[in-house]
Amino acid sequence: MEVFNQLIYDFAAWVDTHQWSTALHESFYVYNWVESTHVVALTLSIGMLFLIDLRMLGLAMVDIPASTLARRLSLPMFLGFTVMIITGLLLFYAIPVRSAQSLWLRIKLVLLFAAAINAWLFHRRMSTAGRSWDTAVKAPMRLQVGASLSITFWVLIVICGRLIAYDWFDCRAEPSSFIAALAGCVAGQEAF
Amino acid sequence: MGPYTRTISVGAVIVFGLVFALTGARHTTWEALLPLFEWMETTPPGVISQSYGAAFALVEAAHLIAMAVLGGAVLVADGRLLGLILRDFPLRRVLDQSHRLFVWSLAAMILTGVFMACGVALKVYYLNVFWYKMLALVTGVLFVFFVRRPLLRGDVENINPQLLRLVGIASLMIWFSVAATGRWIGFSG
Repeated sequence: MEVFNQLIYDFAAWVDTHQWSTALHESFYVYNWVESTHVVALTLSIGMLFLIDLRMLGLAMVDIPASTLARRLSLPMFLGFTVMIITGLLLFYAIPVRSAQSLWLRIKLVLLFAAAINAWLFHRRMSTAGRSWDTAVKAPMRLQVGASLSITFWVLIVICGRLIAYDWFDCRAEPSSFIAALAGCVAGQEAF
Repeated sequence: MGPYTRTISVGAVIVFGLVFALTGARHTTWEALLPLFEWMETTPPGVISQSYGAAFALVEAAHLIAMAVLGGAVLVADGRLLGLILRDFPLRRVLDQSHRLFVWSLAAMILTGVFMACGVALKVYYLNVFWYKMLALVTGVLFVFFVRRPLLRGDVENINPQLLRLVGIASLMIWFSVAATGRWIGFSG
């Protein structure tokens, strides 16, 4: 764990030496535009995703065949996620060390990975589930479980994303050794 | 209502709004609201928000999630009006289904928004951008329930497609303004 944290810290500290990183961080307009785009793109990415998940659970858009809705909303959803990934990387690039040592960002990345696995499994199950359930109010149970997990993961991801701004577990707040290890604090690190 | 009653009513609201905005009535009303905002900070949501940062952050996250769902409902409905999405499904079906989701998510946003406002009531009272957002939100709600919904409640298939597109574009602009001014609050003060 220590070696992993040291590697991450060294990488983030190196990124922090970039002139563009500092320029982005210190720019009032560009940084705020990037952050705003990241937040507003939620409506495109997660908005479409939640509509698909709620359809699978029989809670929204029940008059529209489920697989058709999923197919049609996939393109705007992926467009939204693309925007969020690009703006997310830029936000990391602007403040690399604090971001890399943010407990909430680390949890968020684990949840993103879990959500991606869930999405892949969901897509595979939907492909093999046939079309007999397409016009039913609710999808088959396995797809409902996938949709429920999807909603849960993404709600937790949004919560973690919001909590990144809070410094309760930042390294400079001298958290417990357990939290410090999870957050990636390195002994004797510079103050950024 | 007769064919021109709604048009006259909308016109009257616009004229009233302009008179309100351009005269001293706006400032007088703002001053009269100060006791309300002072009281908001003493309510249970206000005290909880100020005492527990985590509570405020969680409610804020709920506000964002509701925004995502509302945005999704708006994008699907207006995308259909603009002929960009779900084109092979009846307009009526898409509008009715997305409106239901829109109402629930709007309710969630208003509840979480009031909770957060109680926590920072005096701060937002003195922020111009907060009032811009309230203006945009009121415009959005009035537009949906008194212009868009009545217009689209009838036989939508016989409405001029250009008018439908205009309604879709207006709706997208209004709700984008609400989101943008809301985001702007976070950068102010």
